[in-house]
Amino acid sequence: MTLSAALILPWATGVLLVALDGRRRAVGLLAVVMLLATLVLLAVLMAGVLADGSRDVVTGRWPEGVGIVLRADTLGVAFALLSVLVLLAATAHEVIAGVRDRTFPGLVLLLAGGLTGLFLTGDMFNFYVFFELAMTASYALSTYGGGRRQLRAALIFTAVNLLGSFIFLLSVAGTYRTTGTLAMQDVADRMVTVDPNAALLVATGFFIAFSVKLGLFPFHFWLPTVYAGSAPAVAAILSGAVANIGAYGLLRFGAGIFPVELRLAAVTLIVLGAASLLYGAVLAVARGDVGETLAYSAIGQVGYVLVAIGVGGPVGLAAAVLYSVVNSLNKTLLFLATGVRGALVAGAFAIGALSVAGVPPAPGFVGKLEMFRAGIAADSPALVVLLVVGSALSVVYMFQVYQHRFWRPDPDAAVAPSPLPLRALTVTLALLILATGLWPEPLLALSNSAVDTLLAGRPG
Amino acid sequence: MIFAIALAAAVLFGCGAYLLLKRDLVRVVAGIMLISQSATVTIMGSSLSRGSAAIDVQPGEAVSDPLPQALALTALVIGLATVALLLALVHRVVLVFRTAERDELAAGEAEHEADLAAERLADQEETG
Repeated sequence: MTLSAALILPWATGVLLVALDGRRRAVGLLAVVMLLATLVLLAVLMAGVLADGSRDVVTGRWPEGVGIVLRADTLGVAFALLSVLVLLAATAHEVIAGVRDRTFPGLVLLLAGGLTGLFLTGDMFNFYVFFELAMTASYALSTYGGGRRQLRAALIFTAVNLLGSFIFLLSVAGTYRTTGTLAMQDVADRMVTVDPNAALLVATGFFIAFSVKLGLFPFHFWLPTVYAGSAPAVAAILSGAVANIGAYGLLRFGAGIFPVELRLAAVTLIVLGAASLLYGAVLAVARGDVGETLAYSAIGQVGYVLVAIGVGGPVGLAAAVLYSVVNSLNKTLLFLATGVRGALVAGAFAIGALSVAGVPPAPGFVGKLEMFRAGIAADSPALVVLLVVGSALSVVYMFQVYQHRFWRPDPDAAVAPSPLPLRALTVTLALLILATGLWPEPLLALSNSAVDTLLAGRPG
Repeated sequence: MIFAIALAAAVLFGCGAYLLLKRDLVRVVAGIMLISQSATVTIMGSSLSRGSAAIDVQPGEAVSDPLPQALALTALVIGLATVALLLALVHRVVLVFRTAERDELAAGEAEHEADLAAERLADQEETG
């Protein structure tokens, strides 16, 4: 019941709000309230899932095995909670700052509906439908602001990601042909009997589709233009919420459905992750612009997630879950803070910067710690060295940005500081992130439990 | 039959990929449309059985697999919506930039790069 409500609420209100003028404060506030309600529903669902295990709902009262399965497990609900939290922060930010586009609140709600749906479905084709719902909303969102750079960014974002979506669809067709089913659980059970070549081909298709979403090297080419060109709130949404599709997809499809292929490709994944990590970090140091540095940093940070997935096993996967959660929160805070001026903002930005660099007590430290554990579990000194180099480079570029932005006389010092509520929101988000770093136990337990449910469904 | 479908999907994908590399934005959109059709054809080709339509089936008669048809219909509708959105975006770009060539769009980015380079130079002078 909570599951269906959490899906229907953002979708239905989103359809309604798209028709209204989002520039009116009341409409924006309604969107914030609805996102908050969705967040509460998901939190209730999470409490239920943690207490009594995963929950399956067969849609349309079809018998089991015929209807589409909606499935709420720890991994899915955790990602849904995270994404809705990011959307809530970005929308609240934009509503306080003044929405400039009439469709913004409605589109964010539709995006929330699509994201919640894809994290809570147990069917591959249904995943594609929700995926397209979320992506279509984000294509429209990326034009937000309406400037020339936004428009160019939106065009690139849409074209590249549409291509990724169709590659995903080709792989869905391949899955159906080889296994005769689309329910994720059945696919995972039957995948072991499929011809290894066909299975590897299908798995590669899924990998490419999710890597494009995540912006992994060498599929990153669209990302810097888009993140740097979008409005701060939209960049926060794209990097904090939409990119979660990629991380979740790699975990769910890679570790949950194609474990054999994942093991086979482990070295390739680690090499790609390492390349992504170094490439993102080095270019982030080299760029001067705040938006672009953060964008390249995003490419580098997802490299960590891929390395962790490549290492695999309970330790590696738990590190991947934890790192994606922390990274998504960091990026949201940093992108939102770039749009705010005035006292206290520098402090909020510094918390985000410390978190990206992995300095305690910020949660990035816990993420890095888990990554080191994964590196040691893989018994690879080279990997540990790589992680240290990546962290060192992230200290350099984050503080380069910090110094550039907050330590020198601002050429446009005449710009009035942002309204107090906006600064308060940024600081609240920073404090929330700091709190997860100071008390990381729930987050650790959550990622371990998510990985347990992921591995429990695995055949053999 | 499977071979014909595979060939059709491959040709569609190939033509689409070729068009994607063109400079004209309208051709890029056409390329994405062809690739979306290639995905639909592949879905049809992934049917597990062939025969008559899966409605009012006589016992013993071969039935065509209805699931890929439902998937293809859904994929077509989604493809239509996203391509329409993309075309609207291209229309907007043409209105704003007065061009549908990718190179001319990149000119704006070159200006941004030049600004960044100037900023870095100013930084160096400040520290050096």
